Amino acid sequence: MKALFLGGVAADTARGIKDELPPSLAVEILDDPIDRARLPASAADADILVSNHWRTDYPPAPKLRLVQSVATGVDLFDLAALPKGCAVCNAFGHETAIAEYVVMAMLALHHRFFDIAGEFRQTGSWRTSWVEGGAPHGEVRGTTLGIVGYGRVGREVARRAAPFGCRILAANRSPREADPHVERMFPLAELDRMLPECDTVALCTALGPETSGLVDARRLALMKPSAFLVNIARGPVVDEDALYAALRDRRIAGAAIDVWWQYPTPAEPTRRGSRHPFHDLPNAIVTPHNSGWTAGMARRRWDEIADNINRFVRGDGLINVVATI
Amino acid sequence: MKTLFLGNFGARPGVWEAILAKTTEKLDASVLFDINDTQRLIPALAEAEIVVSHVWRKDFPEAPRVRLLQSVAAGIDLIDVPSLPRGVTVCNVAGHEQAIAEYVMLTMLAWQHRLLDIAAAFRGGVWSTGGGAGGGPTHGEILGKTIGIVGYGKIGREVAKRAVGFGCTVIAANRSPIADRGEASQIHPLAELDRMLPLCDVVVIAAGLGPETSRLLDARRLGLMKPSAFLINIGRAGIIDEEALYAALRDKTIGGAAIDVWWQYPTADEPNRRGSRLPFHELPNVIMTPHCSSATDGARDRRFTTVAGNLDRFVRGEKLTNVVMTT
Repeated sequence: MKALFLGGVAADTARGIKDELPPSLAVEILDDPIDRARLPASAADADILVSNHWRTDYPPAPKLRLVQSVATGVDLFDLAALPKGCAVCNAFGHETAIAEYVVMAMLALHHRFFDIAGEFRQTGSWRTSWVEGGAPHGEVRGTTLGIVGYGRVGREVARRAAPFGCRILAANRSPREADPHVERMFPLAELDRMLPECDTVALCTALGPETSGLVDARRLALMKPSAFLVNIARGPVVDEDALYAALRDRRIAGAAIDVWWQYPTPAEPTRRGSRHPFHDLPNAIVTPHNSGWTAGMARRRWDEIADNINRFVRGDGLINVVATI
Repeated sequence: MKTLFLGNFGARPGVWEAILAKTTEKLDASVLFDINDTQRLIPALAEAEIVVSHVWRKDFPEAPRVRLLQSVAAGIDLIDVPSLPRGVTVCNVAGHEQAIAEYVMLTMLAWQHRLLDIAAAFRGGVWSTGGGAGGGPTHGEILGKTIGIVGYGKIGREVAKRAVGFGCTVIAANRSPIADRGEASQIHPLAELDRMLPLCDVVVIAAGLGPETSRLLDARRLGLMKPSAFLINIGRAGIIDEEALYAALRDKTIGGAAIDVWWQYPTADEPNRRGSRLPFHELPNVIMTPHCSSATDGARDRRFTTVAGNLDRFVRGEKLTNVVMTT
C-alpha cells in the first residue's frame, strides 16, 4: 500500500507523522505538485493521497481509495477527477487557534490597538492616553458579537467571547441546538435581521453555494457604521469590491481580514490578496491566511491525519469523511 | 454642598461635566485644573466640603472643611494621606478592571500570534512571515498556557475569568490570603512568588504599588522566569526594576513584554517624553501603550457613575461605596 504526500504542506505533514505511520505503508513525498514529470508514475499506484488539492488535468490515479486533505476546506479538490469509491476526508485541529485569532482581532479593533501601540512606539506621543485626556477607545464588554457559521470554529469563538460579557448571536445554514453561550440562533436566511444588531460580525462559515458572496454591498449596509467585520472563513464569502468601498468610505468602522480573494503564485510570490489596496486602509488589519497556523494546530492536525491513515490501513472506519465518490 | 473638581483628571473638560450630569443632588461645583495655581487653590480648598481629585499633595493649603476626597482613579498612590485633615473619607473608583482584563488578553494573544509583526509585514506584501498561505513558520497560541497573576484583586479575577475560556491554567500570588480563589487553580502567598514565576508562560502584574511591591520584579526574579515567558505590566511601573527589565528584554532572557505603565510621564515642557530613560521603544519584543489599558468608553462610564453616586450619597448622608480609608 502506498501513500502519496503531494505539495509543501503535505510534505511537512509527512515529516511530522513519519513515526506514527504503519511500517508496511510505502510513503512517497512529492513536494512540488507541478513536477509533471514525476506525477504520472507517483499517482498511478497511490492508494492514499494526502494533499490540499487535486486538479482535473492531473494524471489518472485509479487506485485511490482515501483522499486525506491537509486542510478543513476541500474546495481545491476537483472531486469529479477522483476515482469511484474514494473517500475524501478533511482535518481539523485549527478551530481553537482560529478562535483565538477572532477574539484577538475583535479586541484589537475595538481597542484601536494598532493605532495606539504604533503611535506610542514611533513618536512617543501620549495623545491617546488617559494621562493626557485622550479620547477613550472601545471595549468588547457589553457589545454584540454575531457569528456567521456556527460550526467548530464558531463554537470555540463563542466559548471564549462569553466571559468577556459579550452578547452573542449566531447564524447557521442548518438548524443548531440551543447553546448556552448564544442568546439567539438565526437561520442563515434571516441573516439580514441579525446584522443590524452586531458590533462585531465574525465570518466562520465554509465556502459553498449558500455562502459565496454572502456579505455583499446590501448586507454590509445593514451593519452599524461603528461595527467591525472579522473574516477567517474564505475571501469570496465577502464581496471584494463592496467591502473595500465600505471600509474606504467608513460605512463600517473596520475589519480584520485573514482570507483573501487571490493568493500568491510561484511566479508572483508577493501577489496582493486583492485587486484593491486593502493594505493601504488604516482601518483594516490584514494577515496572510495564517489565523490557524500555530504550532499546536499543526500537531493536532497531523495527529488526526495519522490516525485516519492508520484506520484506513487497518480497514477500520474513517473519521472526518466529507464525501465518498 | 461645595464640591471642588481638582487636578488634570477630575477637572479635565469632559470629565467633571459628565460626572455632574450623572448626579441628582444639587452640588455647588467649582473646577480647578492646575494644582500649581496656588492663588486659586487657597480659596478653593478653604471652603470645599467634597474634593474630586486623584491627587493630594503634602504642600496643599489648608482644607478645614473637606470631609470627602473622591478619587476618579483606582490607585491612591498620588494621595499623600498624612497631609489630609482629620475625618476625611477617601474613596476610589473601580470599573476599569474589565477594560484592563481585555487589554491583558489582547496583548498575550497578540504576542503569541505575533500579530503586530505579521500584519506589518503583510501590509508590505510579504506572505511568508505568518506561515499559512505563505508557508512560513507557525506562531504560538495561548491554549494550554499557564498565566501567573501577581496581585489577585479585581483585575486579576477578571483576567482569570477570561483566560480559562481559552483553556489556560491560571495561578496567582497575593499579599493577603484569598478565601475565594475564583477561576485560579492555585494561590501563592506573595512571599512564595519565587516558586510561582518559573511555572508561568505569561506573568501579569496586577498589583498596587506599595512597600511590598516596589521593585518586586528585580533582576533576580526576572531570571526565574522562563526564557519564553511574556510579562504584562498594567500595575505600576515601580513594581518592576527598570534597568533589569530592559536588560532582560534586550538580552532575550525573557521572551517579551507588554508595558502600559511607565517609570516617567510627560510634562508640560516635554509632552512626548519617553516613558523610560531606556529605549524600550527600540526593542522588537516589546508591545507598548501609553497608560491607556483602562481608557475605554465603558470604563469611563462605569467610573463616572460610581463617583456621581457617591457624591449623591454623601449629600444625602448615606453610606458611601468604595471607601479606602477615613483619616
